[in-house]
Amino acid sequence: MTATLKNILTGKNSRQGLWILPLIIVVIGFVSLSVSTEDFATSQNLSNLLKQAMPLIIVAIGQMIVILLGGMDLSVGSMISLTTALLAIDAPAVVTIPLVVVAAVMVGFINGFSVVRLNVHPIIATLSMQFIVLGVAKLIRPVAGGSVPEFLVQWVNGTIFGVSTVFLLTPIVILIGWKLIHGSRYGLHLFAIGGGAAEGQEDAAHNFGISDRRNIIVAYICSALFAALAGAFLAGRIASGDPNVGTIFALDSVTAVAIGGTQLSGGIGGLHGTLIGALLMALLSNGMNLANLSAFLQGSIKGGILLLVVALQSRKKMGL
Amino acid sequence: MEAGTALIGLFSREDEKARCASLEEAVRIMNIPKSKATVLCRTIIEAHSACLGAQWRKLMTTNFKKVALAALIASTALVAPAFAEDIILMDGVEPRQENNSVVEAGAFQTEGPWKIAMSHFGVNANTWTVQTAHEAQGVADGDDRITDFIMLDANFDQAKQVADIEDLIAQDPDVLIVMPVTGTSADAGIEAAVAAGIPVIVHTGRTETQAFTVEIQGGAENFGRVMGDFLVDQLGGTGNIWVLRGLPSHPEDINRYAGLVQSLEGTDITITQEEHGNWVYDEGKRVCETFYLNDPNVDGIWSSGADMTRACVDVLKQFGADIPPLTGEGNNGYFGQWIEEGFPSISAEYSPAQAAAGVRAAVALLEGQELNKHYIYEPAGWDVAKAGEYYRDDLTANVWWPTELPEETLQELYGQ
Repeated sequence: MTATLKNILTGKNSRQGLWILPLIIVVIGFVSLSVSTEDFATSQNLSNLLKQAMPLIIVAIGQMIVILLGGMDLSVGSMISLTTALLAIDAPAVVTIPLVVVAAVMVGFINGFSVVRLNVHPIIATLSMQFIVLGVAKLIRPVAGGSVPEFLVQWVNGTIFGVSTVFLLTPIVILIGWKLIHGSRYGLHLFAIGGGAAEGQEDAAHNFGISDRRNIIVAYICSALFAALAGAFLAGRIASGDPNVGTIFALDSVTAVAIGGTQLSGGIGGLHGTLIGALLMALLSNGMNLANLSAFLQGSIKGGILLLVVALQSRKKMGL
Repeated sequence: MEAGTALIGLFSREDEKARCASLEEAVRIMNIPKSKATVLCRTIIEAHSACLGAQWRKLMTTNFKKVALAALIASTALVAPAFAEDIILMDGVEPRQENNSVVEAGAFQTEGPWKIAMSHFGVNANTWTVQTAHEAQGVADGDDRITDFIMLDANFDQAKQVADIEDLIAQDPDVLIVMPVTGTSADAGIEAAVAAGIPVIVHTGRTETQAFTVEIQGGAENFGRVMGDFLVDQLGGTGNIWVLRGLPSHPEDINRYAGLVQSLEGTDITITQEEHGNWVYDEGKRVCETFYLNDPNVDGIWSSGADMTRACVDVLKQFGADIPPLTGEGNNGYFGQWIEEGFPSISAEYSPAQAAAGVRAAVALLEGQELNKHYIYEPAGWDVAKAGEYYRDDLTANVWWPTELPEETLQELYGQ
């Protein structure tokens, strides 16, 4: 029992990463903010916190799928922006929503194809795609504005039976992510492919009969689809299209995944860690806002905490 | 001094300062709200400058005209649309004349101490945005009744501004001040705050919602037009110009550019090269170097920001080229360069002290004063003489004029 606890605390030999450390920070942050700030533990603020974390949670799940393979998707931010821009064009939702899905599948497919068929490094492939998609988003909507389908705004900001819809949406998204990563054959393949890549044996999974190329392309498509879902949620939040709104999510999603213990080299990570990572980032922003920390200081504090958490989670420390 | 004599001063004095002194005196004697008198006098001055000239001035010396003009202003004061009692939020900020309304006295009156919350669109974008944060903080620090002044930085991220405003509303402030990132980024937050009984002041950016309590809007089109009109005048309505714009997709950039387009309508001035310099020196320099290497023939330069103007002047000097008429704004570094080099230019005014005016409006609401719902800020351009009155060689290039920062803060932040 003691050995198991020690392994959890240190992440020793864990394929799910050192997620306990960010969880401890989240719990400490939650308790200390509840005690020190009277506005924190209110239902209004907790609802705000979840709404603020939600887009990052969604996009980070998609990002994690790609990172588990040893890849990275830097085009998710632009995909979010493109989604809001498409949803704000002057057309009915029956047109714009399928358009978003088609765009996401195309973007994900081209990313995956570039990586597995053209042998472009994932960072370069998705960085290029980031610029392409951003350009398209700015062509569609050069300036923030327009209006998105009203049901989307209601869905994101409304309530069902007195409960904020975000409280209902969160478990659904988590369940989908959980099924995909930890509850399916596809999830096992992700760990297998990523584990091989981390050891410098990219064809290890392939040698065991796993179709690595197809799985990688599917992973990038999943990432783009999750980004599109995050974009739809954000479009409901801002009630308009904005070609720049997703920019920050490219790196934030990687950061949330890394904080949660997923190794950027692939093969190690867990959905719960990613959720904790995304929650920690939202908690930091919300907590510092409520603690009335100087706008000049907030960025530095956030960066310092992120550096500390990620530095404590190296693959070497886990013995893998 | 009689009111009539004071008013005559408005038209007989040549320089703006003397005119202003006359206006102040007339307003004091006749007890007319300054906002009404300013608008009326501006109209008369424009008419005077445009068509009547010296003949009008001669006529004005008669007692008849003195009395008639005083009566005209007095009657206008009585029949003009309802405006709030005179509150000076900032020099150059005036109630909007059309479709305005009044926030009734006492509507949000609260005894101190006050908690004022502010959502800033992005503190660290450039030196101007940094100064807006200091201007707002300065006014808040100087008022003992404001015990909590919470400023959150949206970092030009629309989604973050939505979250920031939610966090600010959760803290139940007495007033919420919003500098919107985009035309829609703050709409939901503003409506939620107003629904919760929190008055909202919007400035330095328009919103689609009209739910706010008070807005102070610098006219970006006016800014671009002041610069555009200057170039049209300098070039005699014909020639080739370069255009350096601000941040792509930024509403301020788009609206300033729209002002330029308005100025160029009906002229033979052609924009031969145009690019975004993002309002910063480095990018402005790169853009100007590219322009010059593409085609050095240029008759005028429309620059949407002073740092880009400075960069262009440096590039032209570097290539040994003449500096054509070009446009700038109230930046200390640019003023120093302008005064030293003496090139033909104009400075459009867009003071970072608008952020101070926002806090001042918040205080006025909490004091229970009557305010207008809409205020505009559309000042005229500055010439080099006026720039010389403000320029300080003991401060760095990063100060923006006009400012309301106290001397101590100026020295602390910008002292050389």
